[in-house]
Amino acid sequence: MNFKDASEEQGSSIRKEEDALGLEEETAGYTFCDGCNEVPFCGIKFYRRGEVVTRIEPWPDYPASPLCSKAYATLQRLYHPDRLKYPMKRTTPKGSPDPAFERISWDEAYDIIVHHLKRIKERYGPHAVFFYVGDPKEPRAAVQRLAFTYGSRNYGNESSTACRRAAQLAELLTYGFPTTGDLPTEQTKVMLIWGTNPAYSGQPFMCHWQFADAKERGVKFIVVDPRKTPTATTLADIHLQPRPGTTAALAAGMMHVIFKEELHNKAFCEKWIHGLDELKAYVKGFPPNRVEGITWVPAKKVIDAARLYACNAPGGLKTGAQGTTHDLNATNNHRAILLLPAICGYIDIPGGVTKPTSPLEGMPGFWAEGPPSFCMRDKLAAMEAERLDLEAFPAWAEKLFEVQTNHIVEWIGEGKVKAFLGWGFNMMIWPQTHEYQQAFAGLDFAMAVDYFYRPRTHDFVDLVLPAAMNFERLAPFAYHGRMIFGRTPVKPAGECREDWKIALDIGVRLGHPEIFFNGDVEASCNEILGMWGLTYDDLRKNQEKGITVPAPCPDAFKKYETGRMRPDGKPGFDTPSGKIEALSMVLQKHGYPALPEYKEPMPTSDEYPLILLTGARVPYITHSKWREDSPWLLELQREPLLMINPRDAEPRGIGRWDIVILKTPHGEIKVKAKPTIMVPKGVVGVMHGWAKANVNELIPRQFDPISGFPPFKEVPCAVMKA
Amino acid sequence: MTVRYGIVVDLNRCTGCMTCVLACKEENLTPPTVWWNKVLEIEEPALDSITYVRYACMHCDDPPCVAACPEKAIYKRADGIVIIDQAKCRGRGECRKACPYGVIDINPNQDYFPSAKPPYQNTGESFRSHPAGKAGKCTLCAHRIDKGKVPACVEACPSKAMTFGDLNDPVAPIRAKISRAEQLLESQKAGPKVFYVIPKNLSKPLEERIVKNPRMDRLP
Repeated sequence: MNFKDASEEQGSSIRKEEDALGLEEETAGYTFCDGCNEVPFCGIKFYRRGEVVTRIEPWPDYPASPLCSKAYATLQRLYHPDRLKYPMKRTTPKGSPDPAFERISWDEAYDIIVHHLKRIKERYGPHAVFFYVGDPKEPRAAVQRLAFTYGSRNYGNESSTACRRAAQLAELLTYGFPTTGDLPTEQTKVMLIWGTNPAYSGQPFMCHWQFADAKERGVKFIVVDPRKTPTATTLADIHLQPRPGTTAALAAGMMHVIFKEELHNKAFCEKWIHGLDELKAYVKGFPPNRVEGITWVPAKKVIDAARLYACNAPGGLKTGAQGTTHDLNATNNHRAILLLPAICGYIDIPGGVTKPTSPLEGMPGFWAEGPPSFCMRDKLAAMEAERLDLEAFPAWAEKLFEVQTNHIVEWIGEGKVKAFLGWGFNMMIWPQTHEYQQAFAGLDFAMAVDYFYRPRTHDFVDLVLPAAMNFERLAPFAYHGRMIFGRTPVKPAGECREDWKIALDIGVRLGHPEIFFNGDVEASCNEILGMWGLTYDDLRKNQEKGITVPAPCPDAFKKYETGRMRPDGKPGFDTPSGKIEALSMVLQKHGYPALPEYKEPMPTSDEYPLILLTGARVPYITHSKWREDSPWLLELQREPLLMINPRDAEPRGIGRWDIVILKTPHGEIKVKAKPTIMVPKGVVGVMHGWAKANVNELIPRQFDPISGFPPFKEVPCAVMKA
Repeated sequence: MTVRYGIVVDLNRCTGCMTCVLACKEENLTPPTVWWNKVLEIEEPALDSITYVRYACMHCDDPPCVAACPEKAIYKRADGIVIIDQAKCRGRGECRKACPYGVIDINPNQDYFPSAKPPYQNTGESFRSHPAGKAGKCTLCAHRIDKGKVPACVEACPSKAMTFGDLNDPVAPIRAKISRAEQLLESQKAGPKVFYVIPKNLSKPLEERIVKNPRMDRLP
């Protein structure tokens, strides 16, 4: 392997930089953090001497601020001696124990990629190449442009694997617009925070202070989370700790109380909820006592929470990207939550759950998805029949353009996918990771772009390309609402290139220099900025304060009455019925349960008496990142810990830091135990993404039939002292 | 009146997110295993509570470390900040023994990247230099305060759990917070200038934990 050579050369380049340091004036620079893959990005102001970054701070008055621990660690990551600095190709066949990577030039790397892309298109058609963006999300727009110009329909990402999209699907099916709720405003009287821990995981950015301020103003908080999170301990007036996977039953129980006591907003319900009678009839079967039996939440708490929420208009909602959708009833569980503010009439009113009035022109969706025109998404309509997830997940395919990736093992096995071009991807995102690793070994060609060599992924690809980091990138710029901000990058280390540029370069070499701006990143950004009459130079001139594109009209509410919820301008919501759909017409059409029905999770047994909850965040690590990247963060935690309630630990003779075996019918790992009341009795929690104890090997490849999401928070397990 | 800097930490807002811990690390570039700014996790099953505590040098009015130092290397600035003079310190560790809060470390002879020192370590700023064998602790970011900035931990806190200011200034925001705040290990009479707003029934468990183990103690 060529790692040694690379780090030696890097050592000498750093020594040169050191010599220069004393001579340079310190100046300010600006970039965004990619530490947790959150978009919109959090803002970093940094200080530089020449091309060396010396320190970082929160970007003053930036809309996504302050930073978190991971952002501060991006400084150490930038100068990590183990960074990938050069393109590398493997010299042994995939599946060999040692990939024997060797350094190559960018020209050779691009030649290899283009050779495979052309060959595969000719032999199997363009859709046999899967394009994927994992973490960071930043290159998504450029990679879509590449995929759709090349002609493949099959583009997916981590959101369409296990993160945001299942909840988003539920939102689109139910409300007709995507939302994870809103921060409390001056009007908000009560907040419902369900299955998310904003104290640690953003949503959006590090916003916990805004909740804490609201609490001091007297806003009431209902926090729903099986775990005793800091969000619950610092905010909750009522903390509901349901058994994982029983969301729909708990929400049904609260709706039962609200309807029974006639606390719902009758006028709103009559006019704007489709399937109201069916919903009422359904939740009638969930009286609080039954709900207690299903969910472990005491009946009195179900009643108290329902009353607190319904009697304090307006109520807000905050949900997470994926905390409520990691089970086999993911979509309908999340739909059930969404109906609570709906039946109370808290939709699109000040202090409630709102849809932005004036999103930036040309940016109807989230920034992370990319601007549709730049992404060339107009090409998709003609290729819909080619998307690989069409048959297995038809409701998803109808509502979301990104392909659900979890069946890629089968697609590779059946010869439908021959090559995989991945930016920042990690095999450990998938349940039964080894099946994906084996499948990838069978591909004609696989490529990865990353910051570090990550063996559990890169051992199974042919080409690894070194990406420039956040301080070294120009693209993409950021926007928040109608405010736009640019960056001032330093020179990339070694031969690193922006991942956005890598996508452009491949496009140029495929024979489309005009479409890919001759590989010029700034020109490609200007193509997007042109939608608002701006260039990157304008962002530079307004570096710290950014540019606000004036809104065409003031913020408006109850837009379902005025036709501004729907693209056709008719009153109502953007759903088939024009109403909020308790009864989803899309789900009905595809033969799914159309009400947000409760489905009993996998049963525990004497052999597997506990429920395994994975994927919960620690604040200083995101997923499988930061293992190679920053010793500062690794020093805080060097291995995964099994959180187990003391009442479950004691009878098993498990003490603090004891090594234990965590086992499901699908696999087992050894981890250290941390007895803690953070998890309730009957539930154990362990962090994901640690290669030596990869908990996703314990999760079966079973999926929610609507969204295709895996059961990361549902599987019965056993814990014993090793 | 003289300036007397302090911090009030509102534990009702602290979430244990470790941002202050990393902001301090990034600002001061302390060596491996040394965390001037810590977050303690206090779990009390009997009270059904988990509390997180931002924890560092208390910059005492009457600092026991100053008296304990045989080299007279530790002094209190006019604004109340307690500083270890790195030139005078010989690392005998008497200050460590004297400190009731256990917040002084002796710098190890370790680097995060021994093979390739990152260029940000080479800015020539004394607050970022930590010679092995010398005692070190939180400086309240005196170098930032001297430039009119607040300490890095305070600026960084995503929950706005920390209020920094002049305890002698009657109109400073810190004064509004101080009436609800307590000093830890008050009985030691060191006069700590970092105060805590402490959730009900937690003062005693918190002090017991500090006496027993003032380190972060995340893994053995």
